[in-house]
Amino acid sequence: MDARGGRILYVDLATGKMRAENTPEDLIRDYLGGEGFAVKLFYDAMDPKLDAFDSKNVLVVAPGLFTGVAVPTAGKTVFVSKSPLTGTIAESIMGGGIGSELKSAGYDAVVIEGKCKSPSYLLIDDDKAELRGASKYWGKFTRDAAEGIQNEAGDVIVACIGPGGEKLVRYAGIDCEDRQSGRGGLGAVMGSKNLKAIGVRGTKDITVADPKKLVAIDLKWQAVMEKSNAFNEDTKYGSGEFLGWVNSERGVFPTRNWKESVFEERAKIDPYYWAPRYGVKNKGCFACTKACGKLFVVEKGPYAGTVLDGIEYETLYSLGSQCGNADIEALAKANEICDLYGIDTISTGVVIGFVMELVERGILDPKDIGVDCRFTNPDAVPKMAEFIGKRKGMGKLFGEGVLRISKEVKQGSEDYAIQVKGMEPPAYDVRGLKGLGLGFMTSSRGACHLRSGFYAPDLTGKTWRISGVDRFSAKDKGEQVKLMEDFMMVYDCLGMCKFQRGFFALEGLIEFLSAVIGSSFTEDDLLLIGERVNNLKQLFNLDAGIRREDSYLPKRVTTEPIKSGVSKGALLTEEEMMRMLDDYYEARRWDKEGRPTQWKLSQLGLA
Amino acid sequence: MAPGLVSYPEKCTGCRFCEMICSLTHEGSVNRKKARLRVVKDGIKNDIPVVCTQCVACGDDCCAEACPENAISMVDDVLVVDEDLCNGCGTCEKTCRYGVIRVVDDLARKCDLCKGDPMCVKFCPLGALKFEEPDEAKYLVVLSMLGGK
Repeated sequence: MDARGGRILYVDLATGKMRAENTPEDLIRDYLGGEGFAVKLFYDAMDPKLDAFDSKNVLVVAPGLFTGVAVPTAGKTVFVSKSPLTGTIAESIMGGGIGSELKSAGYDAVVIEGKCKSPSYLLIDDDKAELRGASKYWGKFTRDAAEGIQNEAGDVIVACIGPGGEKLVRYAGIDCEDRQSGRGGLGAVMGSKNLKAIGVRGTKDITVADPKKLVAIDLKWQAVMEKSNAFNEDTKYGSGEFLGWVNSERGVFPTRNWKESVFEERAKIDPYYWAPRYGVKNKGCFACTKACGKLFVVEKGPYAGTVLDGIEYETLYSLGSQCGNADIEALAKANEICDLYGIDTISTGVVIGFVMELVERGILDPKDIGVDCRFTNPDAVPKMAEFIGKRKGMGKLFGEGVLRISKEVKQGSEDYAIQVKGMEPPAYDVRGLKGLGLGFMTSSRGACHLRSGFYAPDLTGKTWRISGVDRFSAKDKGEQVKLMEDFMMVYDCLGMCKFQRGFFALEGLIEFLSAVIGSSFTEDDLLLIGERVNNLKQLFNLDAGIRREDSYLPKRVTTEPIKSGVSKGALLTEEEMMRMLDDYYEARRWDKEGRPTQWKLSQLGLA
Repeated sequence: MAPGLVSYPEKCTGCRFCEMICSLTHEGSVNRKKARLRVVKDGIKNDIPVVCTQCVACGDDCCAEACPENAISMVDDVLVVDEDLCNGCGTCEKTCRYGVIRVVDDLARKCDLCKGDPMCVKFCPLGALKFEEPDEAKYLVVLSMLGGK
C-alpha cells in the first residue's frame, strides 16, 4: 500500500496487550490519513460520555498521508483524544518526526487506551512494541526525558510529556524534537495514563506510486516556493513576520487580556527586531524545506542560557502582549519554561494575562499568588509559567484554564475569562475579524485559528476561492467558514503545513496525490473528505454533551468595542454572533442546535 | 578538485528532507535508514548533516582500501560501490569514520553524488548542504561535532 505503514497498532496500557490490524482500504478512501484517520479511529473506540481523565479515554496518534513520503513541508503528526480542557474531541498537530518514524515502522496509527500501573513509556521498534518502565524519567523536563530514552533505547524518535502533563495541567501538551502538540491538553491525557513517552524506530521502506513523478513534482514546487516573497519572509522572520502589520494595519493584536487590540510596545517583540539579534539559525518541522522556526538563544543578562525553538507568532502575543510584556528575553524564558514543562504557550499566556487583570481589579491578591503578577512586570511571566508547570501554590488552580479559574474565583471574574468552550484563544482579536470569530465558535476544540484558518481571508480579503471579504461584516461568513474548515481539514489529513495553502491549493495536492498513491481525486472529493471529518467531530461533541451555547464568544468580545487603532469601535455583537452561527449551521445542513441532518449524514456516508 | 558535498551544520534546520529525497532517488521508495547521508540531531542546538567526503577527509579510514571484495572504486572522482561485487559484509560501514556508509539488506549504501547533480542540495534552500569545492577542514568540524555519534 503506497504511502502507508499498512497496519494500525492497538495498545492497552492496563494489560500491556498489543495487537496490529491491517489498515482497511476504505479508511484511506474515506479519510485519507492523519487527522481523518485519527478522528475516525477515536470516534469508533471512545465513549463520548467518559471524562477525559478516565482511564478508558482513547489517545490516537497518526501521521498524515504525505508524512514520511518526501513531499516538501508535509511531515505532520496528529494526536486526537478527548480534551480535559474543553470536554470536546481535540486534535493537536505537531511537526516533530514521530509520525514519519511510525510509518517507517509499519503503522498508520496507534490507538492507545487504558492506564499504566506505574510510569511507563511505549517503545515501538518496527514489529515489536512493548511498555517499559519510565519512573526514572517521571518529573523530568521534556528535553531531558527524550534524551534519557534515546540513551536507553537507541536511535528512536521520542514524543513525551513534561512535568505539566504529569501534574495534569489541563492545557499540557506533547513534545517531540522541541515541536509541540500544544493545544487541548493531550499531554495531561498521557499524564493521567502514566504514559511518559512514546519512542519509535522504523526501518521499513515506504513506497510511492510513481517515484520519478514525485521527484519531478517536488522539484517543481520547491522552485515555486523558493521564488516567493513568503519564502523569504517566513525563513527570515518566522510565523511572527506579520505581527507588526496585524498590530498597526489591522489593529487586532490582542493586548492585556483583550482589553486592548494594539500593543504600543510591539517593536520590542517583533521578529524584525529579535530575529537578527537572538536567532542563531533556522529550525524546521520534519520535512519542511521552508523552515520558519528559529533557534533562539539568550547569551547575557538574567535570562542567559535560555534556548528554544521559536518564538512563534501566537506566543509573542500570549506570553507577550497578552501579559503587557515587551521584554523579549523574559518572553523567551517563559516560552522555554512552557516547552520544558510541556504546557501550551497560548493557554499559559492567556491564563497569566487573565490573572493579571484579576489582580488589577483587586479580585486576586499578588501576595496570595506569591508573584507580583501585573501587566507592568515582565519578570512575572516566566515565574508564573513555572508556577503553573509545577502546579505550585495557586499554580494548581491556574493549571485548570481560565474558564475553571473564573468559576472558582467568581466575583465577576467570568466577564474577563477570554475563552470559547474552555479554550484560551490565539492572537487574533475577532471583534475586528468576524469570520474568524465564527471560526472560534465552530472549531471543534474551542477557540482556534487553525480549524477554519479564517484569519487569512479576514486579514487580507482573499484566500483561495474566497474573495471580497469584509472583516467587519457578519454577512456570508457561514458559508465561507464552512468551506475554509473543509479545505483546511484536507491539509491535516495529508500532514501538510497549512502555510502552504498559498502554494499547494487543492490542485497542487491532487498532483501530489497522483504521484504518491496513484489515485485521482477531484477537488470536490477532497472537500467531501474534509466535510466528513468535520461532521464526525461534531457528532462526537454532541454525544459528549457540547451544546450550541457552549460555542458562544466571551462577553468582552460581544460587549466592549475595540478601544483604539484602525479597528477602533469594532464589536462582534451578540446578534451578529447568533446570525453567523445560524448561517453556518444552515451551510452545513445542521439544525439550529448544530445536529447534522440525516440528509447530510447520508451524503457523507455517516448515517 | 572536483566538487563534492559539503555540510554546514550552522545552517541545518533538522528537517531531514535530504535523507528522504536521497532514498527516494536511489531506492525508488522512502527510507531514511537507507539514505546516503544522515542528519544527526544532538539536543536542540545541533543539527548536523553528515555527508560522504569522497576520500577528502577520511585519513586512513579508507572504505575502498578496506573492502575485501574490492567493490568500492574511484570513478570520475567519486567513490562508487559496485553492486555486483558488494556482498554486504559491512567492513566499509565499520571503517567509515563519519558513519555515513550504511549496509542495509546486504548492500552498502554510499553517496554517488547523483552523477554530478546531488538531489539533496536542491531541497536545502538555506544552504546546509552545498555542492562545491570540498574542504577538509569543514569535514573535520563535522567529525568533531559528532563526537562519536
